[in-house]
Amino acid sequence: MRQAPPFSLERYTLLQILIAGLIALPVFTAIWYGLTTGGNLAWDHILTHRLGPYTLTTLMVLFLTGTLACILAIPLAWLVSLYDFPFRRVMEWGLILPLAIPGYVLAYAWADLSGVAGPIQAGLREVTGLSARDYWFPNVFSIPGLSGILALTLFPYVYITARAAFTTQSLATLEAGRCLGASGWHLFWRVGLPAARPAVLAGLSLVLMEAAADYGAADYLGVRTLGVGIVRAWTSFGEPATAARLALVLISLAFAFLIVSKLATGAAGSQQTSYRWTTPARTQLTTGTGFAVLAYFLLILSFSFGLPVTRLIWLSLATSATASSLMSALTSSLSLAAMGTTLAFMCSLVMVLASHYSRRGAWPIRLAAASGYAAPGVVLGLGGLFLLKASGQALTGGLAIGLLVWIYASRFTSAGTEPLFAALSRAPASLDQATRSLGVTGALRFWRVDLPLLAPGALAGGLILFVEILKELPATLMLRPFGWDTLAVRAHAYASDERLASATLPALLITLSGLVPVILLSRQMTQMGDRIR
Amino acid sequence: MIKHPTLTAALASLFLSACSGEAPVPNSPTEPAAEILTIYSARHYDSDQTLYDAYEAQTGVTIEVREAKADQLLETLKAEGANSPADLVIVSDAGALWRFKQAGLTRGVQDNRLEALIPEPYRDADGHWFGLSRRIRLLAYDPTELSPSDIAHWGQLASPARAGEICVRSSSNIYNLSLMAEMIERIGPEAAESWARGVAANMARNPQGGDTDQLRAVAAGQCSVAIVNHYYWVRLAQSADTQDQEVARRTTLLVPEFGDGEGAHVNITGAAITASTDQVARAADFLTFLLSSEGQRLLTVETKELPLTNQTDLAEGVETLPPFTPSQVPLRVLGENQADAQRLFDLAGWN
Repeated sequence: MRQAPPFSLERYTLLQILIAGLIALPVFTAIWYGLTTGGNLAWDHILTHRLGPYTLTTLMVLFLTGTLACILAIPLAWLVSLYDFPFRRVMEWGLILPLAIPGYVLAYAWADLSGVAGPIQAGLREVTGLSARDYWFPNVFSIPGLSGILALTLFPYVYITARAAFTTQSLATLEAGRCLGASGWHLFWRVGLPAARPAVLAGLSLVLMEAAADYGAADYLGVRTLGVGIVRAWTSFGEPATAARLALVLISLAFAFLIVSKLATGAAGSQQTSYRWTTPARTQLTTGTGFAVLAYFLLILSFSFGLPVTRLIWLSLATSATASSLMSALTSSLSLAAMGTTLAFMCSLVMVLASHYSRRGAWPIRLAAASGYAAPGVVLGLGGLFLLKASGQALTGGLAIGLLVWIYASRFTSAGTEPLFAALSRAPASLDQATRSLGVTGALRFWRVDLPLLAPGALAGGLILFVEILKELPATLMLRPFGWDTLAVRAHAYASDERLASATLPALLITLSGLVPVILLSRQMTQMGDRIR
Repeated sequence: MIKHPTLTAALASLFLSACSGEAPVPNSPTEPAAEILTIYSARHYDSDQTLYDAYEAQTGVTIEVREAKADQLLETLKAEGANSPADLVIVSDAGALWRFKQAGLTRGVQDNRLEALIPEPYRDADGHWFGLSRRIRLLAYDPTELSPSDIAHWGQLASPARAGEICVRSSSNIYNLSLMAEMIERIGPEAAESWARGVAANMARNPQGGDTDQLRAVAAGQCSVAIVNHYYWVRLAQSADTQDQEVARRTTLLVPEFGDGEGAHVNITGAAITASTDQVARAADFLTFLLSSEGQRLLTVETKELPLTNQTDLAEGVETLPPFTPSQVPLRVLGENQADAQRLFDLAGWN
C-alpha cells in the first residue's frame, strides 16, 4: 500500500521550483545579460589568450585544495570520534575555529608571516647571514600556496560533516567490523570511511564551491584563477557583461563536479541498516600516543588559526593602528547575517524536505538551486544590480536590504542544504518504511521523524550560513544601503589601501563574532552526541 | 555623444530649475532645511569623514556616502538611472572618471570658481570631471645595488641589464594600467607591448601583493627596484613602526622620464557631478570646498597625495619627494587606453 507523503507531491515540487527560482534568478539575470550584451573585444581576447590558463589554474587550485582539506580533516574527525586523548573535548570544537577567519584575511596574515620581509625569513637571514636571493623558501604567492591557505580555512567543512557521520555512525556497523577483526586503520578504511562517504563528499563540495568562488585570497596572492579573471574582465576591460559570461564557465565546472559527486555517492550505495546512531565507545590511547595526537591537533590548529591570529593582533598593536566606526559595522554585520541566515535557512529546509518527500531526482531544480553557490559574489552582485534596474528603484533603504538579503539567500542556500541532506541520508531506508506502515504522515511525521533526524544537520547548516554571510564581501560592498557598512566592508577598505594593520581590527572582529556562534553550536553538537549515548 | 532619453530629460529639468552651475551660493541653500548631499566615493579614508564633518558644520548640509569600488559605483549609477540619489562621484583614477563620462552618467558643469582653482590639465574640458588631488608613479630603488643613471628612463627597466631586479604588482591594478595607458599613447602599442615584455622578463618574482609589499621586498634585498606610487613610500617613512621606517631608509625614490625630459606619470583623485542630480549648485559648492586650503589639507593629510592647488602646504613627509615635471599627456588617455593596456600586458606575460 502506498502512503501519501505529508502534502501532495505537486505542492512540494511547486515549492521547490519556487525556491530554486528565487535562488537562480539573480544568477541567470547576470548570465543572460552577459550572453546578450557581452562578446566585445575583451571577450575575444580572453577567449583566445586567457580562458585556458584561467581554467587550468582553477582546476589545479581546486584539486590541491580539496585533497589537502580531506587529508587534514578526515583523520582529525576519525581520531576525535573514536579515540580518547588529552584535551579531546577542547580539540573537538577547537578545530572549527578556522572557519571564522575569512580566506582573504588568512592570506594577508600568512603572506605577511612568510613573505620575504616577514619575521620568519628576516630571522632566517639574520641567523644565516644570507641575502634574500640566496635561498629557496616556500612561496605562499603560488598555486600551492593559495591552495594551502584555502584548505587551512575551509577544511572544517569536511571535519564537521565527517565528524557528524563518525559520531552518529550505526553502532552495529562498527561493532560488526570489530567482531570481524578490523581495528585501527583497517576499521577506518574498510568500515568508517565508506559509511561516511556521503558526508565527506557533502563537506568537500562546500570546500570546492567556496574555493572556486574565492576572489580575495587568489587576487592578493597573485594566482590567476577564473574568479580573478571574472573581476579583471569587469575592472580592467570595463565590461561587466564579459565578466558574467566568464562566470558561466565557473558555474559549469561546479555543476560538473556536483553531478560527478552525486554519481559517486550513488555508486557507493552505503545504506545504514540500523538506527542505533550511537557514538561508538572511544578507545583510550596510551599516554605517549595520546600526547602525540594532541600535538598533531595543536600543529594544525596553530597553522590555521593560532599563528595568523597572533600575528594580526601583534601587527595592530605594534603600529597602534586605529579603525573608525567599528561598533556600527559590527551591528550591521550581525543584523545582515541574521537576516540572511534566516531566509537562506528557510530556503534550505524547504528544498531538502521537498526533495525528501517527493523522492524525485529533479535534477534541473537541484542544479538551479546550486547555481547561486557556484557563482562568485561579484556576479551575484551584478545580478542584483540588473534586477534593481528592472525595478526602476534607487539602491536605498529597505529595498536595498531586501535585495541584499535575497542575494545572500541565493548565494548561500546550497551551503545550508548540504549538511541537511547529509543528515537525512544517514537514516536507514527501514525507518522510512516503518514510518509509512505506522501511518505517520503530515506534520506528525515532520515533528516525530524528520525533525530529530535533521537536528544535527540543521545546526551545522545554520552555523555555516551565519559565518559565511558574516564573511561575505563582494555582494555586500555592492548592494548595502547607506550607513550599513559591515566589518568585512571596513576590513576591505583598509586592506585595499594597503593599511593591513588598520584592517586587522575589523578582521579580528569578524573572526571574533564568527567564533561565538561557532563555539556555541559546536558545543551543542558535542553535547547532543553525548546525550544520545 | 549620444544622449540617453532619460539623460536628456534630466538635463531639461536642470535648465528648468535654472541651476546653470554659475549660480553658486555657499551658506544660502535654496532648498529647505533638511538638505542632503549624496556622494558615491571610491575612497576609503577615515580623514574623509573629517572632511565631510567639516562641510556639514560649515553649511548645515547632511552628507550621505556610499563607499565601493569605482566600477561597482558605475554599475550602481547605471542601474539606478534617473532615480539615483547620488549627486557626486569621487574616484581615485582619471580613467574611471573618463568611464563615468563615457557612460553618460556625468554632467558638464561650467563653474568659474572651479575653473579658476583647478589647473587646466586636471579637469575635463567640458566640465564632466574635476581633479582634487594628485599622485605620481615612480621608482624606489636600493642605492647599494643601482645608481640613478641605471633607471633614469622607464625604458631602461626593460633592458636585459636589469634581469631579475624588478618587483612590481599585478597588471590588473589600476596604477599599472594607467602607466601602460600613457606608455601606449607615447610610444605606440607595439613598442609598449615589447616594453612590458622586457619588464616582465626582468621581474625578480611573479607580480604579487600591493605597492607596499614591493617596497618591503626591495628593502629585504629580493629585488633592486620597485614601481610604486609615491604615497606608499611616504606612509612607510611616517609610520610609527620602526621596521616600516627602516624600509623607507633603505630605499631611494626616483622619478623616471619617458625619454623626452618630462616624466612624472601623474594620476588624480577627482570628482564628477552626476547626470541625475538636481543639486548641481550644492555639489559644485562642495567641490569648491574640497579645493579650498582646508579641503586640500584634509584630502591629503592621511593619504599623502599631492594637493592640486598651491593653497596649502604638502602633507607631512611629502616634501621629501624628488622634484618632477608632470607629464603633458591628457588624463583622458588613461581611460581611453585602459582596455588596450590590459590586453597588451596579458600578451606580454605581465601577470
